[in-house]
Amino acid sequence: MTQQTWDEVGGLLPHDEFRAASEAIVANIEQVIEGKTATVRLALAVLLAEGHLLIEDVPGVGKTKLAKALARSIDCTVRRIQFTPDLLPSDVTGVSVYNQETHDFEFRPGAVFANLVVGDEINRASPKTQSALLECMEERQVTVDGVTYQLQTPFMVIATQNPIEMEGTYPLPEAQRDRFTARIAMGYPDAGAELAMLDGHGATDPLHELRPVSDADIVRQLIATVRKVHVADAVKQYAVDLVTATREAPDLRLGASPRATLQLLRTARAVAALEGRDYVLPDDLQALAVPVLAHRIIPTADAQLARRTTDAIVSELVHRLPLPHDRQRSPYDTRPATGNGRAPYEPRRP
Amino acid sequence: MIASRNIGPVAAAATLLAAAPLSSIFETWTWLVQSAIAVAVVAGVAALTRLIRAPLWGQVLGMLAALGLALTWLFPSGGELLTFLPTPGTFGHFADLFTGSMQDMRSYGVEVPDTDPLLFITVLGVGGVAVLVDVLAVGLRRPALAGLPMLAIYSVPVAVYVDSVPPVPFVVGAAGYLWLLVTDNVDRVRRFGRRFTGDGRDVDVWEASPLAAAGRRLAVVGVAIAVALPLAVPGMTGGLLDTLGGGTGNGNGNGRAGAGGSSGRIDLFASLAGQLNQSEVADLVKVTTSEPSPFYLRYAVADELRPNGFQARNPSGRPVNQNLPDPTERAGPGVQQARYRATVEVTKSLSMSLMPVYAEPVRTEDLNGNWLYDPTQQVVFSNRDNSRGRKYSFDYIRSTYTPAALRAAPPLPAEHPLNRQQTATPGPVPEVEELVKGLVQGKRTDYDRVLAIYRHFSADNGFSYRLSTESGSSGEDIVNFLTNKVGYCQQYAAAMAWLVRSAGIPARVAFGFTNGNKQDGNTYTLTNLNLHAWTEVYFDGVGWVPFDATPSYGVPGSTRSAWAPDIDAPESITPDPGASGAAADPGASGGPTGPDNADRDTDSGLSLAGQTPAEQPPVWPWWTAGLLALLALLAVPALRRLALRRRRGGRAAGAAMTATPNEAAPVDGTRVVVVGPDANRARADAHAAWAELLDTLVDFRVRVDRTETPRTTADRLVRETLNEDTAAVGAVRLLGRAEERARYARDPLTGEPLAPALRAVRGALAARAGRRTRLFAALLPPSVLLRWRTTLADTSGRMVALTGRARYRLLRWNPRRLLADRAAR
Repeated sequence: MTQQTWDEVGGLLPHDEFRAASEAIVANIEQVIEGKTATVRLALAVLLAEGHLLIEDVPGVGKTKLAKALARSIDCTVRRIQFTPDLLPSDVTGVSVYNQETHDFEFRPGAVFANLVVGDEINRASPKTQSALLECMEERQVTVDGVTYQLQTPFMVIATQNPIEMEGTYPLPEAQRDRFTARIAMGYPDAGAELAMLDGHGATDPLHELRPVSDADIVRQLIATVRKVHVADAVKQYAVDLVTATREAPDLRLGASPRATLQLLRTARAVAALEGRDYVLPDDLQALAVPVLAHRIIPTADAQLARRTTDAIVSELVHRLPLPHDRQRSPYDTRPATGNGRAPYEPRRP
Repeated sequence: MIASRNIGPVAAAATLLAAAPLSSIFETWTWLVQSAIAVAVVAGVAALTRLIRAPLWGQVLGMLAALGLALTWLFPSGGELLTFLPTPGTFGHFADLFTGSMQDMRSYGVEVPDTDPLLFITVLGVGGVAVLVDVLAVGLRRPALAGLPMLAIYSVPVAVYVDSVPPVPFVVGAAGYLWLLVTDNVDRVRRFGRRFTGDGRDVDVWEASPLAAAGRRLAVVGVAIAVALPLAVPGMTGGLLDTLGGGTGNGNGNGRAGAGGSSGRIDLFASLAGQLNQSEVADLVKVTTSEPSPFYLRYAVADELRPNGFQARNPSGRPVNQNLPDPTERAGPGVQQARYRATVEVTKSLSMSLMPVYAEPVRTEDLNGNWLYDPTQQVVFSNRDNSRGRKYSFDYIRSTYTPAALRAAPPLPAEHPLNRQQTATPGPVPEVEELVKGLVQGKRTDYDRVLAIYRHFSADNGFSYRLSTESGSSGEDIVNFLTNKVGYCQQYAAAMAWLVRSAGIPARVAFGFTNGNKQDGNTYTLTNLNLHAWTEVYFDGVGWVPFDATPSYGVPGSTRSAWAPDIDAPESITPDPGASGAAADPGASGGPTGPDNADRDTDSGLSLAGQTPAEQPPVWPWWTAGLLALLALLAVPALRRLALRRRRGGRAAGAAMTATPNEAAPVDGTRVVVVGPDANRARADAHAAWAELLDTLVDFRVRVDRTETPRTTADRLVRETLNEDTAAVGAVRLLGRAEERARYARDPLTGEPLAPALRAVRGALAARAGRRTRLFAALLPPSVLLRWRTTLADTSGRMVALTGRARYRLLRWNPRRLLADRAAR
């Protein structure tokens, strides 16, 4: 497969074609995952935002199925890594093997050399192995024995994991979590969807019958289109405000990183495009705040004791943060002006 | 006992400050010096007894003893040991002083001179209060209670001096009390030990504790309310409303008749004008006299000429039930004196501390010792009683004079006290000086000069009577009257007195009643319209002689005399020395003219009565204007809202107008994205429509959330508020979409009918809201009020921040801080 640099993405798609292509992927996945349209669209949005997806939920709700369905719907290289406690970093990245014929070391690519990498049960591997993903996820390259190998475009890691309260798991390090654009939960299907699932999955696995409806080229074009989505200054400001708020929240020990801001906005672009808009709304940011930000932040010990989840903290921040449009104090705000946060009376010790 | 060392002196000083109101009843400041000595002695002994840790009763005994010693030293009887150790004789002396003070209190009006009995009772009182304050504030640590004895001091001038004490001494006294309270509280707080700012930082020695700021503000507000509230309460003496409401004649003339209750500071001219202008006629006095044709009944005199006109001096005198001066001593050739008896019945409508009598009373009945007679002013007054509903009789001597007798009166010697006092004018007024010079030129005797001035006010000279003129008797008013030549009794009387004084002859203005036009035999019923003022001129050896310069046609019941004939009467009686026979009998001169005048005055009185309401400025325009102003004020928010809506509506309508060219613009089926001025305009239109929608929501009390996007807001409205109204649902979604695109998209929504959408939403909201909400939305739109409140809060917040910073900068130069720094170094 020809290596393609990160910037060599395809041309822009017209509005209608974009819509058709994206809808086709969503519809295809939905053949397998029933009644989870929002989750499926979010997964696609992460793909179009050039991010990585972390699916976290209890066992048996279809995490792996979603990952595989997304991979199969796109006709591109797909590799799967089953993370086990004895998995080694070289299994992920690749290894140099001595070739006796050429008397030279030869690089044998690992599982990450694909467009879509499905990492199943990622938190069952030891942190040592998990760390193998750090470089490739952020920089889209792999360095083995001092040689750097570029990865393909699109490149996406779809990882599934069980909540860390479950036994036999290693929590992901912060650096690793920060590299995932979004963390989504599958949730249990509703009664109707579960019934339909019993019918559909009773005889055969519908995953086998899933045919690709798209290919890497189209995905590249979709990504290029997403990049052109307009973001007004007010929206950018709102994204910054939102991330700043996590850094200043008293409940949080660690706020979201600048990378989070970037990925929040990228995902918002993708979501806007998927909804047929060529501009981002604060509504998109509000909807994405929990999936994009919640897994990156660490609550304080007090908040943990109070059993406040990061999801709750983020959504509360969203509900408290005023929109940037009425940045200059709204007349409907009856709270006293805080000014620049300085107390009016601040004498210093002489 | 660090605290007591500090509070003791403060308590003593506060006592002295609280005594400040006494200054208004004393003529000099001797009382203060003596009180200060007594208080200082008491405070010193208190400090000493505390130094030796005496129990409280010991302190009290010590202070009382100290007060006794101080009094002995200040008011010696002569038989003391070492000038300050009291003997039994001293206490006898004290008892004498005490009874003497009672006597003095009765006989002197304010302001009282320095008599020993009065000073004694004052020093005793202030010293006693000092003891009490010290015990309460230092011994019992209840400084708030110490206010009661201080109040007792304050009540003294208030009691004797009905017309309320001037504000400055009160403020001084109140400041003393507050000082005591503050000192005590600072001491209490210091006992806690270290002071904190509240954010965990220690307060420096030089700093006022920020925690106390709220207390300080509360205290200031409390004091302000305590002072301002009584001012606004009607019915209290000197109430602000009382003053403002005076003279409007709002029906209840009874309480106001007599205008004020004091002999002291009453403005006689103002009350006279007020009474004459009353539209209601009230009977004030009924008088029966044995005199066939009496002269005016008089009750007050204004004999002090200040820059702002004639003022009443505080009268002083002896009780009326004692011997009164006998005017018959002044009888001489040409002066006829006869004794008559009169009974006066004052109705309930007249309440003042002066009693109307005929000049000059020699014996009274039915009047107790509270009523005093001032022989100089010839008025009966009281410092604590009032005339309301009284009935009394008195004998009086009526003096009549021949012009010859008055001519024969010698000029007053220059050193005569009256000459100094009663000819004083507050600085020469050139016009008056010139006029007087012209009038008296060539006149040899005082009487001729006075007569010349008296005649100047004749109708021939163009003077005419009219009640509705500016009142006042200051120099400027007098000149105005002399120029305009239109006025009524008070101007005539004051002008003549002024001119006579300018000629060097003592003169004053007397106030009283004419004989009126309701006569039943010897009984005259006098109303407020019969109130009158005239001039009295002093002739040496003769006494005060009345001259009434006011034209008799203007005054019902006017009376003339031989020495001051009616200058406007057709048959002008010239002062002829030969006609002394006719003048000798007051009945002869007063008789023919009296009934004649009374007849005419019935008409003029009627016409006056008919005239008065018309002349009086009507009250209703003020009420109407006030009501209109109030309505206008109330309408301001609604108008502001209307203007705002109109402006935004204009924008939205403009958007609808621009829709047409845009609609026509698409060429070849492709959508033309208009970017440029039109886009900006569409953006502004959408913003205006959205702002208007938010204001409407606030007006109809629908929640507005700053954290919601336009889309969420529209969704919420659809979900919660407009659930059935499909037109409104479409409209609100349109508005939300327009605002959303205006804010966040490359190209705003153009060509949408925003104004009708707004109307639809507003209509749906109004239909859903209750009547009360609708009414408020129309009359007092909450959106406008909220905006104003926010602005106010912001401004005040900024001000607080600014003042806080300024204060901090100033604190850098606080001397206490600099001293503390130096000490630390």
